[in-house]
Amino acid sequence: MTGTFPPPDSPPDVDLGRVWIGVVGEVWRRRPGLLERSAAALLRSPGLARALLTTPSLLVPWLIASVAVLGAGAAATFGTGQPIVALMAPAVAAAGIGYAYGPGIDPAWELAASMAISDRIVLLVRALVVFAVYALLGLAASAASGVAAVLTVGWLIPMTLVSALALAAAMVARSANVGVATGLSGWTIMVLSWRAADGRFTAAVTYTAPRAALYLALAACCGIAAAFAPRVRKGTP
Amino acid sequence: MDDDGLIALVAAGDDSALRALFSRHAPWLAARLRAALPAADVEDVLQETFIAVWRGAGGYRPDGTAGGWLWGIARRQAALLLRRRGPAAAVLFSQVASDQDVGDPADTVPDRVDLDRAVAALGPPGGTEREVWRLLYLEDRPVAEVAEMTGVPPGTVKSRAYRARQRLRAALRADGSAAELGSRMMRGGAR
Amino acid sequence: MNIEIADVTRQFGRTRAVAGVSLRTGAGVFGLLGPNGAGKTTLLRMLATVITPTSGSMRLLDRDPGAYAARREIRRRLGYLPQSLGYYPGFTVAEFVEYFALLKDMPPRQVPGAVATAIERVELAGKARAKLRTLSGGMLRRVGIAQAIVNEPELLLLDEPTAGLDPEQRVAFRLLLRELGARATVVVSTHLVEDIGVACGEVALMDAGKLVFHGTPQELTAKGEGHAIGDAPLERGYSAVLAAARS
Repeated sequence: MTGTFPPPDSPPDVDLGRVWIGVVGEVWRRRPGLLERSAAALLRSPGLARALLTTPSLLVPWLIASVAVLGAGAAATFGTGQPIVALMAPAVAAAGIGYAYGPGIDPAWELAASMAISDRIVLLVRALVVFAVYALLGLAASAASGVAAVLTVGWLIPMTLVSALALAAAMVARSANVGVATGLSGWTIMVLSWRAADGRFTAAVTYTAPRAALYLALAACCGIAAAFAPRVRKGTP
Repeated sequence: MDDDGLIALVAAGDDSALRALFSRHAPWLAARLRAALPAADVEDVLQETFIAVWRGAGGYRPDGTAGGWLWGIARRQAALLLRRRGPAAAVLFSQVASDQDVGDPADTVPDRVDLDRAVAALGPPGGTEREVWRLLYLEDRPVAEVAEMTGVPPGTVKSRAYRARQRLRAALRADGSAAELGSRMMRGGAR
Repeated sequence: MNIEIADVTRQFGRTRAVAGVSLRTGAGVFGLLGPNGAGKTTLLRMLATVITPTSGSMRLLDRDPGAYAARREIRRRLGYLPQSLGYYPGFTVAEFVEYFALLKDMPPRQVPGAVATAIERVELAGKARAKLRTLSGGMLRRVGIAQAIVNEPELLLLDEPTAGLDPEQRVAFRLLLRELGARATVVVSTHLVEDIGVACGEVALMDAGKLVFHGTPQELTAKGEGHAIGDAPLERGYSAVLAAARS
């Protein structure tokens, strides 16, 4: 399994094996498109860009993630009016995306879990892609449908921004957990300030600090649970 | 399979055919290049040569001159590599690259050549021989183009190039560190 | 020492998949033998930093895998072939190997050459641009080996690497193992005893989560003196040790 050339009449100090590797490396190389190259520059990581762009092509995970995202979104915007639903929604969505691209669905999940560019960072990137794609679709659909408009403005666009914030924080801090925490804080602040501003969620409760703290704590717990969701392995020894 | 067939397969995107071409031709190409270039440069030139073969196989007309075609690509790649080093390095290779000279039997590769002096022997910049040598060897333009650019017929271009090479050879030989390279290098072209 | 683990345990609910394993090893090829369910895969997963131990201490490549930054550094120098490797059917061989080379944070400039070298080493050059869905099981296994070695890892973990390879390919693979073991620690987990004898300098035998033997293949063979079960000396050693451990 050496793949080297035994050249009979070539100069002894010329390494033709090394030359061939250089040639064939160039021949077999994939040339990333403009989108991937831009993403690689933005994320400062060609591996992350590639992982991101393979997201939609893994169809089954994409569908499951979509159900999670849209379902959670519907609950958040049209739900019973309890803020807790809105606060938990990102956790549900994240858990859905994590499950979709995690064990059982993503065929190479175990290998991905051993990679230097960790599967959690990849998860954040994929969450961003799922939300961004649906935000764009939602914007397009908003012209035709009021329901789509509410869902887009009330859930998809904010969550896209939250995911982007989470990813940026993760890249800066070099830690996926910091990213998730940042994103969740952003979302919680957003929800609570909506409530305070226009009583959007029509619960007849007054805004008090202890309740806000409780919601924040619950949101944090859901976030941590979601962050660890892809890490739970089936118990096969 | 013969070379023409392999090159046709390469043009169609078959990388195993490229590998077969490499096994067959890289050794002798390496030997020829090695007479004029250090080993590291030979490796770089060979790599660029076969990448160029991969990309340009479609331009080959199957008339049995695969060896000459390959050597032509190798020469051009060597010239490109040397050009990046500066005109002095190209001087040496221009001795090698010509396919019209009768070779000098001396085989020695120069240890130290006073290349700037040799280039100066071609005359002042802008002079006829130096200009022709610069366009033909440094910038690797075809004879017809050089003829057009200098406003003289191709035959004149060729004879000026010949005189330039003679002067270079004389200057290099006079240094005592001969730049005469084997006749097999001089003859370039088809194998 | 590339691997230093002490009293490592891994529990799944009430099952102890790995029960107090201690191991220290440097460069060379290390064979991990044992029947199915012995805990080999779980141990390899812990070494690959895919799961964390329930208790015990681990040091890999002189670093603590519990720390985030150190774990990333370990993973850049790690190669792992899981027992069942899924693949993306639409990727070509070169694309698949390149994907994981990038995820291992290899400098992008080095990637094309490293991918080409890895593919040549597993003798899949003719299939480099073929889609994974067109390959046989043995070829897919070799693709898996290629992605594991693409970053010239210092710690290479292979779980049942010869599954699906024909005898000729297995011989070639053992030669590759010896080459790799010159500079790196290669841990090969297998239930095929003959895979071990030729390539490995050190062997460990696991049963029910415990390490029941650790030594050279010659020492394992010696344990089999006079034992009835097994066609080859190493196999007899293997069954002798297992029998002793279970009695």
